[in-house]
Amino acid sequence: MEVVPISIAAIAALLSIVATYLAVRSRDLLAAVVFSAVQSTAYALIYYVLMAPDIALVYIPVSVGILPAVTVMLVKKTERYEE
Amino acid sequence: MRLREVVVAVSVALMVLLLAYVVSAGGLGPLAPRELRELARSYLANAYNPWNVTQSSLSLEAVTAIVWDYRGIDTFFETSVLFASIVGVSLIFRGYRERPGIGGRGLSEIVKTSTRVLLPLILVAGVSIALHGHLTPGGGFQGGSFIAVLLVLATVVFSLDFLVERGLASGRLLALRSAGLLGVLATSVALLAVGLALGIDAYIFQNMVREGSELSMPQWLLDRPTGGTLLFFNVFEALAVAAGLALAFLVLSLREEEVGEAMAAGEWHE
Amino acid sequence: MSDPTTFLFAVVVLSLVANTGISLYGVFTRPSLVKKFISLTIFSDTLNSFAIAIGFRRVVGPYPSAAVLSSVPEDPDELLAFAGSAVDPLPQALVLTAIVIGLAVYMFLAGLIMLYHRHYRTTRMV
Repeated sequence: MEVVPISIAAIAALLSIVATYLAVRSRDLLAAVVFSAVQSTAYALIYYVLMAPDIALVYIPVSVGILPAVTVMLVKKTERYEE
Repeated sequence: MRLREVVVAVSVALMVLLLAYVVSAGGLGPLAPRELRELARSYLANAYNPWNVTQSSLSLEAVTAIVWDYRGIDTFFETSVLFASIVGVSLIFRGYRERPGIGGRGLSEIVKTSTRVLLPLILVAGVSIALHGHLTPGGGFQGGSFIAVLLVLATVVFSLDFLVERGLASGRLLALRSAGLLGVLATSVALLAVGLALGIDAYIFQNMVREGSELSMPQWLLDRPTGGTLLFFNVFEALAVAAGLALAFLVLSLREEEVGEAMAAGEWHE
Repeated sequence: MSDPTTFLFAVVVLSLVANTGISLYGVFTRPSLVKKFISLTIFSDTLNSFAIAIGFRRVVGPYPSAAVLSSVPEDPDELLAFAGSAVDPLPQALVLTAIVIGLAVYMFLAGLIMLYHRHYRTTRMV
């Protein structure tokens, strides 16, 4: 089996760990939303390499498009910094 | 403080890398199987199988065939859950009404111009993905999410008034959402109704010719397979998902004055 | 180490395990409701990724294909070759609906958090 596509998935998976940790630890909630979107992009790459184009097509608009918009709206209507 | 967090995050990733090396060097580790299960092989072999039509849905795409044919009732009730949670969102902020022209001019002119170029492209991509759901990767859920992104983008960039002026207020979106759900329901019982009228046996969610029933949805549209009910399910589901998600986002992005009035009308007011 | 793809697939799966732990840590220990919300979305995405990883397979040829026929098959042997090289479509079909339904439920949750903030003027849980 070819090594190149699955090594792209491995790099994306390692990137998603960094993004998840920073999203959970960041005190600025707006930055947390951005890190969460980075994690979603890495997951979309993983889905594509694991041969699930249907999931990638539904995951990109939902988790990179609408969910960050909803969360930014939530942060704007509540408070920006976590205590 | 910030650098320390990044160092910790990168070291967690390095730990995972080393752990994977240790595990796979010992010959252990998760391994993708060589052979699929019997169920998966049956789905793959029967998704488009004109030599065995009674078990096939005549769709080139196996995932759409499973979502809307083999597991159609499951997906129908999942759509109902989607509808229920959209209704829940609008129930939380009940009594609201969009009022055009109270502040909110949107983003800068540069963003608006580039978004005007972008909106038709997203619309075409979403409609194409929904219509070709039985031929290429995609389907009703994917196309609906694309069109919902379009409406969310318009709400953010041009402000809430953009949608309200074009008649896409929340009442209209709820009507579109219900129309999509009713379309899914009508498609699922269409052959049953025909069978009742003609006095022939038929099933709910019947697509092609099945054992004990000769009725069938159209198999070809010009020179392309239609997948029978899958084409209609995809179109109606795209409508339902797009209108439902846009409605939920629109309610969540209501301005303070509108929500304040709605809250004052109900018992939620402090 | 015999096969580099074994190592790389192990990296993907173990990264998902690490993400499960980190996001659960966020749900349990962070005081802000919005941060709990973000961690919960990451958690559900990670579980969906596990389901996709279950459906992956190895084939003898170059790389497995997606569960989509690229052209209308002419004879039954093409179908058998397709079933011998495509990945499992069933987890994909289950995850597909779960993602969209999950988004609608998270929107409901976001509305509830807005109500919470309106009542108590804070999003702190503890």
